[in-house]
Amino acid sequence: MAIVTGWVAFVVTVATIACIYGLLTIGLNLQFGFTGLLNFGHVAFFAAGAYTAAIVSMPPPGTVPGARYMIGLAVPMPAGLLLTLAAATLMGGVLAALIGVSAIRLESHYLAIATFALAGIFYDVLVNERWLTNGTFGMTQVPKPLRATLGADAWALAYLLFAAATLAVVYLLVGRLLEAPFGRVLRGVRESTAAAEMLGKDTDRIKLVAFSLGGAIAGLAGGVYAHYIGSVVTGQFVAGVTFTVWAALLLGGVASHRGAVVGAFILVAFQQSTRFITTAYDAAVAAFPDTLGVVLTALAAPLPGHPAFLPSVRFMIIGLLFILVIRFRPAGVLGDPQEVTVMGSEE
Amino acid sequence: MARTILTVDGLTKRFGGLTAVDAAHLTVPEGQITGVIGPNGAGKSTLFDCITGITAPDAGSVRLGETELVGRAPHAIAHAGVGRTFQTPRIFEGMTVRENMAFAAVAQTGESVVGALARPGAVAAEEAETDARVDELLAFLTLDPLATAYAGELSGGQRKLLELGRVLMLDPTVLLLDEPLAGVNPTLGATIVDRLEALRTDGRTIVLIEHDLELVMRLCDTVVVLHHGATLAAGPPSVIRADPQVIDAYLGRMET
Amino acid sequence: MVDLSGLAQALTFGLIEASVIALGAVGLTLSYGVTRFINFAYGEFLAWGAFTVVFLVAIAPALPLPLAVAVAVVAVGFMGVAVSGAFFEPIADRGGLPLLITSIGVAFVLRYLLVAIASTDARSLPVPLQRPVEWMGVGLTPVQAVVIGVAALAMLAIHGVLQYTTLGTVMRATSGNRELATVAGIDTEAVVRRTWVISAGAAALAGVLYTVLYAPVRPTFGFGYLIIIFAATLLGGIGRPYGAMLGAVLIGVTISVGSAYLSPAYDQAYAFIVLVVVLLVRPEGIRRGTF
Repeated sequence: MAIVTGWVAFVVTVATIACIYGLLTIGLNLQFGFTGLLNFGHVAFFAAGAYTAAIVSMPPPGTVPGARYMIGLAVPMPAGLLLTLAAATLMGGVLAALIGVSAIRLESHYLAIATFALAGIFYDVLVNERWLTNGTFGMTQVPKPLRATLGADAWALAYLLFAAATLAVVYLLVGRLLEAPFGRVLRGVRESTAAAEMLGKDTDRIKLVAFSLGGAIAGLAGGVYAHYIGSVVTGQFVAGVTFTVWAALLLGGVASHRGAVVGAFILVAFQQSTRFITTAYDAAVAAFPDTLGVVLTALAAPLPGHPAFLPSVRFMIIGLLFILVIRFRPAGVLGDPQEVTVMGSEE
Repeated sequence: MARTILTVDGLTKRFGGLTAVDAAHLTVPEGQITGVIGPNGAGKSTLFDCITGITAPDAGSVRLGETELVGRAPHAIAHAGVGRTFQTPRIFEGMTVRENMAFAAVAQTGESVVGALARPGAVAAEEAETDARVDELLAFLTLDPLATAYAGELSGGQRKLLELGRVLMLDPTVLLLDEPLAGVNPTLGATIVDRLEALRTDGRTIVLIEHDLELVMRLCDTVVVLHHGATLAAGPPSVIRADPQVIDAYLGRMET
Repeated sequence: MVDLSGLAQALTFGLIEASVIALGAVGLTLSYGVTRFINFAYGEFLAWGAFTVVFLVAIAPALPLPLAVAVAVVAVGFMGVAVSGAFFEPIADRGGLPLLITSIGVAFVLRYLLVAIASTDARSLPVPLQRPVEWMGVGLTPVQAVVIGVAALAMLAIHGVLQYTTLGTVMRATSGNRELATVAGIDTEAVVRRTWVISAGAAALAGVLYTVLYAPVRPTFGFGYLIIIFAATLLGGIGRPYGAMLGAVLIGVTISVGSAYLSPAYDQAYAFIVLVVVLLVRPEGIRRGTF
């Protein structure tokens, strides 16, 4: 019975994280898939949202032992959830706008490096400005709304529904935008900024809007994440997150709105599956020590035993994903090859 | 005497040691087709680039009516009424012909985030209007059978027509066409010329760069000759054709 | 009143770090010259260089360190060729963007292959712990002096290859215009391969020197250091080896002076800021000329 409940809990966790990554991927798709802006710093917007939600909802520093941070606005839950998420979304958008204002005109390679560098600076700020972020110790008392009332299992399910609903709403809104002239303008700008300018479109402003919107959605994802995990720590916002979202986007299909969400789900399921593999392995060896167990142990024997092994293999596979998708199926699973070939055609 | 729509005065552009445009001047009369000719490297495309804001000139002015264009962003100049096509058409290959045309529709409510999300009624109405206008222009350019084809599949001549159509969506005060017939097969070329004449009958002002001198002499009301970036001569074809300086510059390339 | 000896010390540290950055930047810029894309996997060659030496020293402790380093540099050089042949050359005709994105994937594969083999433990090299020697008012350990010396020699060697050998001439021709070079009869594929050997080899050496200076290091250090190398490369103008050397000195000094006089918590961030400013203001770099 424990295995079944364990299973359900696992699926609920994976699905919730997948919804959050779905939001992140939609945001990146808006920036790169539809507008052609190469953003290698997406995690910064995610972090901005998460930390904002934390700062707005955390208890004041006086009440938390060992707190180095100085701002905790302690907005009450669950009513305050709307406020923290709105603040998170806004902060993601503002950070993106600030970065975008200067970087938006850079040619793609340079934009990639600039966004990567800016995310790096942002990370350093998060680590060093302890008065704001509590440094590497993190903000660990982010409230989980209604957790006490519902209890662990019911809350997990309820939060999944909440995250899924958020994803659905954003998905629909962005979908509407993409079908409207807004989407058409983005696609034209993506293919040829010069042609778009010649047709009277203010391409700088359009790119800035798309970039900021993508950042805002990432900020929202950060807020949802903060209240789910209940703690916001610098270690959660490393470059690996940016490139996991990229992997999701490439796999699902660049410039495919559905693809972004599908890619996110596949990738998160894959990521979380390594946890599952170790648990399944242990369970199998324990349940069948003389038959399957022997075989499995023998297979595992030559592999390095250090704990970083499985996660490394996971990351290697993600790396291979990048390589294989670009080489053999640039449109990913659901993308339109027609749309993908024109990307970067102005080079 | 036709009204002057566009005036280029003393326009100069240098690239390092090379003077591409040398105090060029140009007066574009309304409702006529003005041809800009000159040997290769005479600065014709650069002149267009300066007028449309792609390149910032080092000196000189460009006036559309009373408005000074130099120093403004390309999209603002397009908005002010200057439509321009390129030697190699910069159409959006990943979009259909219809989408290419619709892209150019001006000041759409649906282009802003707020408009697209909060005002579906207005967006739908404007889209319908745009669609009607697109249909009209596609028919005018004989491109209507290709409306749903991807622009990437079009032939050279069809692309030129599409680019022309897109620019017409802006309802521009003056059209700058950079070699509208280059690399186009004769049949489509004849269609393009025919459409340009129809546009002139409609009262449109056109400036075109072309290398086919015979065509220019036949089609254009005024001809401007550029040489080494400077205006060598300007006037009706009959005058230009006989101008000794022009003949000199072309070294007998022209057939009288 | 500026504390002159403190400034001199900061400049010295900057110069020491600059020697590492310079090697890395020159290698990156050389390979950019012929392949024309920003290679995000470059940082991994530093880590592989460092850890190959760690590995060699672990299995053959009697092996003199310089020999182990030489072996590692050559091995990683050829690894560079293999990586290029397997992942980059097959899509070389697709343009810079697919190559750039692919290089992210390659970076992940290389980095986590190393982690899978070596774990995330931080390692060091058997370099003696020394006291700084006072020299003209600044303190410098013999090891640090050796690092500067080795880096300088390596760059001198690269300079020699570029200016005085056929390979160098051909590399410069190909980096100017690959299509034209092919038309002119140059075997550009061979040039690309040889450039990768030098490029990855330089990175490996840079990684070893980095480990000597800043041990212990984790196998993941390459990706983070990449930004610093980008900063130096772009400051000097991408594709220009001599510019890269100049850029490296400036970046090294910026980091060192910044940490000494502003906030020590931020060190690398100063390089990042320089990088962003360069990109926004003058992406073609500060050095005039083609090289």
